[in-house]
Amino acid sequence: MSDNNKTVVDIDRSVYDIKDVENEQDFYRMEDGFTEDIVRKISEEKHDPEWMKEFRLNSLKLYNELEMPDWGPDTDELDMNLISSYVRSKTDMKGKWEDVPEDIKNTFERLGIPEAERESLAGVGAQYDSELVYHNVKDEVADQGVVYTDMESALTGEYADMVHEYFMKLVPPTDHKYAALHGAVWSGGSFVYVPKGVKVDIPLQSYFRLNAAGAGQFEHTLIIVDEGADLHFIEGCSAPKYNVANLHAGCVELFVKKNARLRYSTIENWSKNMYNLNTKRALVEEGARMEWVSGSFGSHTSYLYPMTILKGDHSTMEYTGITFAGKGQNLDTGAKVVHQGKYTSSLISTKSISKSGGIGTYRSSVIINKEAKHAKTSVSCDSLMLDSISRADTIPGMDIRTDDADVGHEAKIGRISDEAVFYLMSRGLSEEDARAMIVSGFANPVSKELPLEYAVEMNNLIKLEMSGG
Amino acid sequence: MDLKMKVNHLPALTYRFLKSNDSEIDLKDINIEDTVSPDPEDVPSGVTVEKNVSEADVAKLFQAAKDKIKSKDKGLAGPNGDTFPLNKGQIIRSGMGIEVDNLMDEMKVLSTVITAGEGVKATEPIHIRYSLADGDCTLGRQVICAKKDSEITVIMEYDSEAEANGLLGISTRLLAEEGAKINLIKVQMLSEKQVHFDDIGGVVDDRADIDVITMQLGAGKTWHGCCVNLLGKNSVFNNHTGYLCRHEQTYDMNYIADQYGEKTESNMVFRGVLLDKAEKTFRGTLDFKAGSSGSVGDEQEDTLLLSPDVINRTVPVILCQEEDVDGRHGATIGQLGDDTLFYMQSRGIDEDSAKKLMIRARMESIARMIPDEAIIVRIQQFIRTIL
Repeated sequence: MSDNNKTVVDIDRSVYDIKDVENEQDFYRMEDGFTEDIVRKISEEKHDPEWMKEFRLNSLKLYNELEMPDWGPDTDELDMNLISSYVRSKTDMKGKWEDVPEDIKNTFERLGIPEAERESLAGVGAQYDSELVYHNVKDEVADQGVVYTDMESALTGEYADMVHEYFMKLVPPTDHKYAALHGAVWSGGSFVYVPKGVKVDIPLQSYFRLNAAGAGQFEHTLIIVDEGADLHFIEGCSAPKYNVANLHAGCVELFVKKNARLRYSTIENWSKNMYNLNTKRALVEEGARMEWVSGSFGSHTSYLYPMTILKGDHSTMEYTGITFAGKGQNLDTGAKVVHQGKYTSSLISTKSISKSGGIGTYRSSVIINKEAKHAKTSVSCDSLMLDSISRADTIPGMDIRTDDADVGHEAKIGRISDEAVFYLMSRGLSEEDARAMIVSGFANPVSKELPLEYAVEMNNLIKLEMSGG
Repeated sequence: MDLKMKVNHLPALTYRFLKSNDSEIDLKDINIEDTVSPDPEDVPSGVTVEKNVSEADVAKLFQAAKDKIKSKDKGLAGPNGDTFPLNKGQIIRSGMGIEVDNLMDEMKVLSTVITAGEGVKATEPIHIRYSLADGDCTLGRQVICAKKDSEITVIMEYDSEAEANGLLGISTRLLAEEGAKINLIKVQMLSEKQVHFDDIGGVVDDRADIDVITMQLGAGKTWHGCCVNLLGKNSVFNNHTGYLCRHEQTYDMNYIADQYGEKTESNMVFRGVLLDKAEKTFRGTLDFKAGSSGSVGDEQEDTLLLSPDVINRTVPVILCQEEDVDGRHGATIGQLGDDTLFYMQSRGIDEDSAKKLMIRARMESIARMIPDEAIIVRIQQFIRTIL
């Protein structure tokens, strides 16, 4: 093996790393830290209804009481007193792309968001720091009654009651410390409602960009897919790299009603100074289906385990995920599922790749409750080590409380086999291309679940990784 | 005295709500009187037995192994939620952890050291029998040491009077030197009113081998831990555990293969049945340390659930800090397949009999590996009685 292939360098992420200078004239920045005064100020800034103000203050109280988990990556270097909870451009959200301020527009242009909207999306939301700067949904989709709007508008507009009914009911602030923090300082995010029986043929997408140094992003995504409806929602995230810590503690709550289907795809490419402490949860009712596709490429530290509660009989879920942990990264990712209804089934399939000293941990839980008769679950996790200075750990947990369940679990950990490389080289490939091809093949079950443009992007990332350039 | 210990720490912690990170032994008002291990029986020539050995002297036996582990420590970060540091004070890492050692030290339990001399191949097994009467609270410590190129087989059997109350706590440490082989068999058939814990810590040097077979059939509450440190090149650890839990029995286990050396091999099989309101927690970890290139590890768990009221927790962990390894684990948990039942019924066997047959077959698949026909018969009788 040549040394070239032993040295795997970081992804070329220059396009994501272009920083836009945020001056006081154009941007409003809340002072650093998380205090009652700050929470009150955010609430005031956002013209919260009274219940939301109380909700924020109670959440802050919980945040101060709850402890950090002792089982995940170390977060000691994240100094919460140096994080600003709220940064926004002094411009309102726009419904037309040409109205978005030039510097922000340039950032999203570089990331290809408007182009994607034109070509393959039903609607787009673009959040810059703490607030959405652009939101648009195609007329034909809006005409079907699909609601796709920013959370703030939903909170005070015609969907206020619906938001009040669902907001942080699935992920209550008592869930964990960062869910409580989210409840206290949340800002931005999207609200989606797909009416009964409506099938949205092309995906909706939200893109989150955290541009400010030393800031937190706490967007809230609330999606309700009503009975028999169908939606594919894509979430993308990125940030330029700073040498101070940034924090992302978003929250995603998904309600999939009877016989509905929701696919939620995420490409996470935060910069490597980001602490990504995100919470995602779906409640799936009778006969409904939840599909997660998740790619974790960025962040310094991640805690990310999308959870599915299979509440209704015959409800199903499928989770397909891939995690790349490179130099300086500690990515602790996986999935959680709770089987509650009868004849429910879950399928979890993950891949993780560790390289250049990165730590990749697959962590999961499968709970089958006593009532979940005839539940079926299958978990498969594969890890690939690309060198001997990295870590790849697999920590799955299962709690089965009925005999009437069928549980299968398998995990594998290994390396690229020399025989496979040799075989491909004997067919005329260079060693570098052979290794890249093997890693692409390893990631294929995930990339084939992604929309084409994302799959191409992922394969490009793999090639970049493997070529050392 | 009251006994409170945190044991069976998962090597890398996970979500608290799974309640699998460790287990607590909490016993009130127990009276531990017996701390003398029974004499080993059928000791073949070439094998020596030394009784009442102090911890200081046991520590000397394991010093070279401890130094070797230290020399292999490359100072790299452990897994997220690493619990390795909790048990660093042990003479050798065990499955249940340091609090068992602390209890044994506090109760001044001395060890019986059984040693197979260099090159000695002891083909016949040595027997250690614990037979408990009602009210007995007993602790015991053994060290089994196989010198270079030797082989030794030790069978430990625990039983008690029917309905006997009491406690049996055992700590067994194993040292297999270069080219040596230790076969350790533990068969537990205590009354359901007994509380039992059994802790194993082992070290395996170059080309050496530790094989452990465990049958857990009795006791109301059982904790079992086993950690084997595969230190030497081409060292091997094989484990086969069979368990049958019924009524309100609980069984909590923690198995760890710490693979340090090059080309080490671990193979762990767990086969069990849960009935009635039984509760079982299984933790099994393959830990490929930096430097363990060429190593392989496999753990397989197969659990048959035969009641709607059982609780089964499973945490099969793989930790890896080495590129050139092959590790895998698999778990199959569920009830008897419809095909199996249908086949049995088509042969005139009713559902209840079919289940009993499958339980016996499952248990015997492990029991049959024990090199002592008399014990196999006793296991068969015990299973027949409880079913």
